[in-house]
Amino acid sequence: MNVHQHNLRMERIQHRIFWLSAALLIGLGLAIWGTLAVGAAQFVLHHGLNRTLLGVDYNPTRGQFGLLPFFMGSVSVTMLALALAYPLSLSVAAVTVLMGKRAWLAPVRQGMGALVAIPSVIFGWWGLSAVVPLIRQVSGSSGFSLLAAGLVLALMILPTLSLLTINAFARVPERWIDGSLALGATPDQTLGRLVLRSVKAPLIEAGIVAVGRALGETMAVQMVIGGQTLLPHGLLSPAATLTTELLSDISLLPPGVEGHHVLDFMALSLLLIMYGLVLLVERIRGRAEV
Amino acid sequence: MNSPPDLIVDRLSVAYRDQWVLQEISLTVPSGRVMAVIGPSGCGKSTFLRTVNRLVDRMPGVHLKGQIHVGSVEAIGDDVDLVGLRRMVGMVFQQPNPFPFSVFDNVAYGPRLEGVKNSSRLRAVVEHSLKQASLWDEVRGKLRRPASSLSGGQQQRLCIARALAVSPQVLLMDEPTAALDPSSTAKIEELILALKGEYTIILVTHNLQQAARVSDLIAFFRDGRLIEVGSTRDVFTAPKREETEEFLTGRYE
Amino acid sequence: MKGTRWHRLALVGSAIALIVFASLVGGLLWQGLPEISWHFLWSPPAETGIFGGIGPELLNTMTMVGAASLITVPLGLAGAVLRVEYGARPGFILLFDRIRYTFLSIPTIVIGLLVYQWVIVGLGWSLSIGTGVVALTAMNWPFVVDMSVSALEGVPDTFREASLALGGTRYLTLLRVVLPTALPALVSGLGMAMARLMGESAALIFTAGINVSKHWAFSAPGETLAVHLWYLRTESVAPHADAKAAATGVVLLTLVVLVLYVSQKLARWLKAVDG
Repeated sequence: MNVHQHNLRMERIQHRIFWLSAALLIGLGLAIWGTLAVGAAQFVLHHGLNRTLLGVDYNPTRGQFGLLPFFMGSVSVTMLALALAYPLSLSVAAVTVLMGKRAWLAPVRQGMGALVAIPSVIFGWWGLSAVVPLIRQVSGSSGFSLLAAGLVLALMILPTLSLLTINAFARVPERWIDGSLALGATPDQTLGRLVLRSVKAPLIEAGIVAVGRALGETMAVQMVIGGQTLLPHGLLSPAATLTTELLSDISLLPPGVEGHHVLDFMALSLLLIMYGLVLLVERIRGRAEV
Repeated sequence: MNSPPDLIVDRLSVAYRDQWVLQEISLTVPSGRVMAVIGPSGCGKSTFLRTVNRLVDRMPGVHLKGQIHVGSVEAIGDDVDLVGLRRMVGMVFQQPNPFPFSVFDNVAYGPRLEGVKNSSRLRAVVEHSLKQASLWDEVRGKLRRPASSLSGGQQQRLCIARALAVSPQVLLMDEPTAALDPSSTAKIEELILALKGEYTIILVTHNLQQAARVSDLIAFFRDGRLIEVGSTRDVFTAPKREETEEFLTGRYE
Repeated sequence: MKGTRWHRLALVGSAIALIVFASLVGGLLWQGLPEISWHFLWSPPAETGIFGGIGPELLNTMTMVGAASLITVPLGLAGAVLRVEYGARPGFILLFDRIRYTFLSIPTIVIGLLVYQWVIVGLGWSLSIGTGVVALTAMNWPFVVDMSVSALEGVPDTFREASLALGGTRYLTLLRVVLPTALPALVSGLGMAMARLMGESAALIFTAGINVSKHWAFSAPGETLAVHLWYLRTESVAPHADAKAAATGVVLLTLVVLVLYVSQKLARWLKAVDG
């Protein structure tokens, strides 16, 4: 067999291996959706949607599966984190890209990349040793609260968010900024009317990515939120989120136990939200490219 | 319309960190005239232009000495109102640099900075500026299209319209046709001739024919120094300095 | 100069961010460093007394992350190669990308739940290192695909065209031109993936467990550093648990930084070698 034939045969074998691995990934993805969908369907058939999605009482051992507190917990913690972290990340981007020298850009990016890799339990540790005691001292409550979780999450998503806003700002060419200043715009006006406006799409995308990270985080939140399954009534009240409740209930409701499928339902809800975010990003990207 | 101001440069020196880029430049551009600044690359032409509207401040470690009088306004000094100066002194860049907005929003950018919100007033300013930049007939009815959909030459005229919309009195043009094809270049040159008189203009150019066609005065820079300045005809027909003659005849560079 | 109020606010904001991060890392080092000794790094944890260490956790973290990386790198790279190098149908690419992106954003606790259901309940495995590796593999796979796709997309098309024009097959082009060019990006991407795995805890609590055994085995419980830190700080009643948690955090962070640093250095070196 000559070299050329050998190469052609290798080509066919390789191609098949690549197909197999791609198919495996897709298969695993579909299996995830399938497993959760089947479990969630069983849950919905048993308990309906009204008393679960809108219910406020959660007590699985007594057959009560009100999930509203967890949805509320997830949403409020995420929004809080975003509200705290987003302005800071815009600040970081403005300072590094607009006020700093271009030479700073690479080291700042690298540093941010390292901060992104800080494990979430370490943020949880920080929450327990700094944030919770501080809130306890100031407010007199236990300290374990939505607020604590929001603060910890804000810090956790800040490097990711800053990296994305820095990349967005860096897309603005110098000559646009020159043009704006030459027209008599102040630096602030240039920031607000030119920079922010011209990279609106990537900035929104950055926010969505950060929302995804915050919603999906378990450990850092679980360590400081207090694990209260009641509807939260304020920033200082302890609460739980979809992810933290999953963590605490896996051992409580193993497969076979009545009510186990509530876990599938919560997991599927999370997955659907994430899928929605993916579609949203796709859409923003598509529109930005036109 | 009032006549535009004289522009008087008095012993201007510019340094980046420890290096002098411009030394002891003194010259006068009389009201409503066009001065072409020529010279080999790296001679400080662009820095000179960016000093007049103080865009040069964006470079870290820049140091200015001397004075530039734009009419009664002084351009050099720590307490200069940069915003006011830049509204008085418009600039057009080498690369057309329209913002990623619509044609309308590009031209309206300057007036909006001043707080003009009234839409009929904005429309009037935009139309007037586009007509002045002789772009109106080509973009009428397409004002909402993105500026990036225009051709390169149209983009450059859009940038001129954008500069005119804040009603400056002085225009700085930094090789405005360097990135354009010959026919677009011809349109910009016509435009400069049309704007002459209403605006005091400084044009940096690499193109000697262009300097000859549109300017009243020539300033020749080399190595950060002003070698010769005079009327365009004098400099081209009878340069006083040997360096100028070398440059004009292509023996330099 | 006027009109710089927002810029000044931005400086304040950045300063706040910097200070908070400095206090986080500083606080961790301050509390954790005094605890660290050879003894702490080698010996097993102890629920009573103050002499416990993190030896087994250190070993578990490294072996589990190593094993998961060994499995996912070929799998992920192969999928990415098909996606980028072999012109698949647009419909396939769309499906592949959607699955990949959602997969990438699955909360790791959901991975933990699924592996628990499939592997522990379904296959009857125990809470063990092996099950933990399965969880880490599922978590890491889409991540490796993603970083491989961007590494491969970073290779200029002109390289491929040049090789194909010389009569190279796609496979040879891949092997001789595309992969060597993409290697630095792949290496630094792998570093990031490993750093991410080291810090994972949510997917491991119910798959690898929160215990360690005296002897390392694939079927033995496999608590990792990150899980141990969580356990110490939330469940443990051992005296001194806080300081031990901080020390565990320091070791974990050092490991993460080390992996990132080495992979980036290696990537830069490879790039330089390439010319």
